Amino acid sequence: MNLFNAGLVAVFAPLVAALLLFVVQPIRYNRHLAGGLSALGALASFAASLTLVALRMGGDPAPAIYESTWLPEAGRSVATIGMHLDGISASMLVVVSLVALCVQLFSLEYMETEPDADFGRYFTWQSLFLFSMAALVVAPNILQLFAAWELVGLCSYLLIGFYYKKPSAARAALKAFWVTKFADLGLLIGLLVQYGAVGSVGWDPATVTAMQATGSVATVVAALYFLAVMGKSAQFPLHVWLPDAMEGPTPVSALLHAATMVAAGVYLIVRAYPIFLAAPSVMLAMSLIGGFTALFAALIAINQTDIKRVLAYSTCSQLGYMVASLGAGGLFGGYFHLATHAFFKAMLFLSAGSVIHAVHSNEISHMGGLSRKMKLTTFTFITGAAALAGLPGLAGFFSKDQILEALLEATEHNTLYWAPFLMCLATVGITAYYMSRVVFLVFFGEPSEHAHHASEGGIAMWAPLLILAVPSIAAGYFGSAFLRLTGIEGEFHVNHITPVGGLAFALAFGGIGLGYALNVLKLGAGLGTALKPVADFIEYGAVDRAWLAGYRYGMLALSRGFAWTDRYIIDGLLNAIGASVLSIAEWVRGLQTGRVSDYVYVVMIGVVCLAAWSQLVSLAGGVQ
Amino acid sequence: MMDIRIFLSLAVVLFTIGVYGVLTRRNAVGILLSIELLANAVNLNLVAFGHFGAGAVGQVFALFSVALTVTEVIVGLAIVVLLYRTRQDITVDLASEMSR
Repeated sequence: MNLFNAGLVAVFAPLVAALLLFVVQPIRYNRHLAGGLSALGALASFAASLTLVALRMGGDPAPAIYESTWLPEAGRSVATIGMHLDGISASMLVVVSLVALCVQLFSLEYMETEPDADFGRYFTWQSLFLFSMAALVVAPNILQLFAAWELVGLCSYLLIGFYYKKPSAARAALKAFWVTKFADLGLLIGLLVQYGAVGSVGWDPATVTAMQATGSVATVVAALYFLAVMGKSAQFPLHVWLPDAMEGPTPVSALLHAATMVAAGVYLIVRAYPIFLAAPSVMLAMSLIGGFTALFAALIAINQTDIKRVLAYSTCSQLGYMVASLGAGGLFGGYFHLATHAFFKAMLFLSAGSVIHAVHSNEISHMGGLSRKMKLTTFTFITGAAALAGLPGLAGFFSKDQILEALLEATEHNTLYWAPFLMCLATVGITAYYMSRVVFLVFFGEPSEHAHHASEGGIAMWAPLLILAVPSIAAGYFGSAFLRLTGIEGEFHVNHITPVGGLAFALAFGGIGLGYALNVLKLGAGLGTALKPVADFIEYGAVDRAWLAGYRYGMLALSRGFAWTDRYIIDGLLNAIGASVLSIAEWVRGLQTGRVSDYVYVVMIGVVCLAAWSQLVSLAGGVQ
Repeated sequence: MMDIRIFLSLAVVLFTIGVYGVLTRRNAVGILLSIELLANAVNLNLVAFGHFGAGAVGQVFALFSVALTVTEVIVGLAIVVLLYRTRQDITVDLASEMSR
């Protein structure tokens, strides 16, 4: 199998599955066929992606681009559509398809209780989602990426609102859609600005050089693209949709948070990195926003009572890391963390799904003591939590270390980078604290009444957890292979603990110790109540309220202003013209009496006038 | 030999009577008759000019004019008949709906 065929299978296998499910109703309504076909599509995609990576590892390091013209205009094409297969897209395809495969296998059992029609609908969207993300990953230019980007947004809307009969789910889906749509305007406008300035929608060196040559275009375009990234990858203050997106089924959250939706934003930065590099001020803003998001979301996660919301905020926080790293020039750290995070976050969410499936509740207080009943889930959740907290030896440790190193290195060029560095460093400790809190409260201590009858699910539920556990533990050791595959410049050492790494490590252990002290030994119970108002203020939507106020007093007021102008000034002008025409016509109409003799009078007067005129003319001529 | 002015004067008289009739008559048939007077005044002019200098052209024009007048009268009478059928009345002032 050559690169081209492998790429085709990786992208189109899920689309074939989605189309078959969508068009052929009997397949969709048969749960075995529907689930099987969808999982088969994901499996084919995964196998083809692995082939791609194998081919890339051995072959020519230059990216293989297969494309055909798209939107021809005046003898040339505005853009191309096709596949850009290099180490980055191949590795991302593996991550995306593996996570999607595991999520779909898990869903086979998790969604068992759904009616046939809903079950089929679920897998249709799952397959379409995988296709959209794959098309985004292989996009050879930003226009195709934008098209796939919107498809990804649509699929996440459909899946977040899967339980659309529940008002809160429908609202959450709409919220996710609108917030990301608002941000997507940045991508669309940026695309237009870029095309208008340099006549290309790519990110190749020639385009970037041309953009730099035209003054501030690179900065404007990079800033607009970053707005889209902020929406998709849930950066402060556009992160508001992500926690609400927990209304979807848990496997959807796993997919959304690991491989597809939120990864798209970071992936855009990785892909269009040359453009961002040409805009240092945007890079700095990116790093600051990323660092702040990491810290802010981690602080909110401390106080959550819903296990999925803890994980949602942790995703937000980890995305902050990636963005901060990319903003500091740490391309490898950011991208590597995207990959490792995808594995352990998917595993965490699926483990949480397994727990929720067992106790039929999202509330942490309804769990407790599950380690005795669900040994495997306990193992995978703790592994995921440890990887997330960045404990040494696990995937998250290596990638997080890369990020902190990159941020520290950036401080040498610009002291402002100390801010994201310190925020990210502090977040390491907080992350360790809130994850250990969840682990202690859910898996240890006394079981609550809901948790008494909890038990492990079937093979479709635990097998994906185990599959994902492998890369979550081991991905870090493949760092140098990953570096070689992606062709990004940088260094990676497995057995080399830097001072920053050591500090982060100490902070993580401190966080876990604090988690143990506060949640198991119940020390400092007064502290929680004392800080509760602050936590409530942050949690119950200071940002949401700000957006709402902005909408109500900014957007609506502006709209009203426009409506008034439209109604009374623009429409008024037109109405005045219309009314005056009408009144003149009303007056002129009086001339048409309808009486024949009146018309004849006019004709006669005309004749007399003509005769008089001709006489005058001949008289004048006579004088001459 | 008769003077051309006699014919022209007669034409003017006929034409004036015709105009007066068209302007004052309210009866559609009356108006049609008046229009005939107008047309014939013109015909008389044509024939007179033809006879006193312009040659056969004037006579030929008069023949054309007579033919045209006949068709016009046919159309006019048809309108009058229709008017009578719809409103049992041929007073033209009443038939002014089209202006409203």
